[in-house]
Amino acid sequence: MAQYRTQVRIIADVLNTAKDMNTEGSGVGITILLRRGNLSYGRMSKLLLELVGAGLLLELSGDKASKYAISPKGIQFLAAYGQFEDFAQSFGLRL
Amino acid sequence: MAPSGDFALIEDFLQFVGVFVSFSIAYISLRGVRQTASSSLLRLATAFAFLGFGFLVEGIVGLDALSPVFPTLATTVVVAGLLLETTGYFFLALSHAVDVMMSRRLAFALLIFPVFTLSASQLSSILGILSFYFVMYGVFETTLSYSKSRRPDTLLIAIGLALIGSGIFVQWLSLLYSGVEVLSLVQIIMKEVGLLTLFTPVLGFARRFPGVKLDGPI
Repeated sequence: MAQYRTQVRIIADVLNTAKDMNTEGSGVGITILLRRGNLSYGRMSKLLLELVGAGLLLELSGDKASKYAISPKGIQFLAAYGQFEDFAQSFGLRL
Repeated sequence: MAPSGDFALIEDFLQFVGVFVSFSIAYISLRGVRQTASSSLLRLATAFAFLGFGFLVEGIVGLDALSPVFPTLATTVVVAGLLLETTGYFFLALSHAVDVMMSRRLAFALLIFPVFTLSASQLSSILGILSFYFVMYGVFETTLSYSKSRRPDTLLIAIGLALIGSGIFVQWLSLLYSGVEVLSLVQIIMKEVGLLTLFTPVLGFARRFPGVKLDGPI
């Protein structure tokens, strides 16, 4: 059975993909984010706008389409998410 | 029946230990809410804030019993303290219930009992039974969670909640056998040991991230 993901979990998954897959430093395309994030195109586009607006992702201009990289604020969010996920799991809960 | 002498003093001291532990967990959870906007942590913070206020009210009533200042208010305030504590346990159970429903696992419905006009002792008994029910639900869900994650912390929380539940049961017995003073002390010790066990994740949090400043939303 598919595991339900909360909004904060989805955000963490997208940020993790943007961090881990950005091996060349030129950002990650929306196709990789869609594949790894397991979201529809419409929902991912809306989420990316929100994350860029919140300063968690950086939008880089590519040759064809925009690419995304995690910002220092996004890395800080992931660190905090990891800490509090651990705390919540101790109580048998998920973030 | 309130215990007398040294028992009352020890019980009251332990109530304030409960205040400290509950507010510490509520504080860390609230910081988590500010950082991640997580609704699970918000429910956890609410649960432990209510528990903290419940222990605080009961502690203040205990101090008043040692040196009476507001004798007419005592019964009402004791019920208010128990109500706050029960609300705390309700939110703890609710956290698990929401988590279960979101995981699409088999959800156990929480029953809300209607409360009619009752005497203070009847109300205390009902609140005790409700608290026991909510805590036992928390024990059940936390144990299930442990069976999946195998995290030692989660097992400790399940044991802590089971101790609190046992404490509530002994508290209910102490209402039935009001002449047995030691029951009152036993129940508060069980609840406090349980609460101290719940404090483990807070200690772990402080140990793993000693220098991390997390105030303010990201």
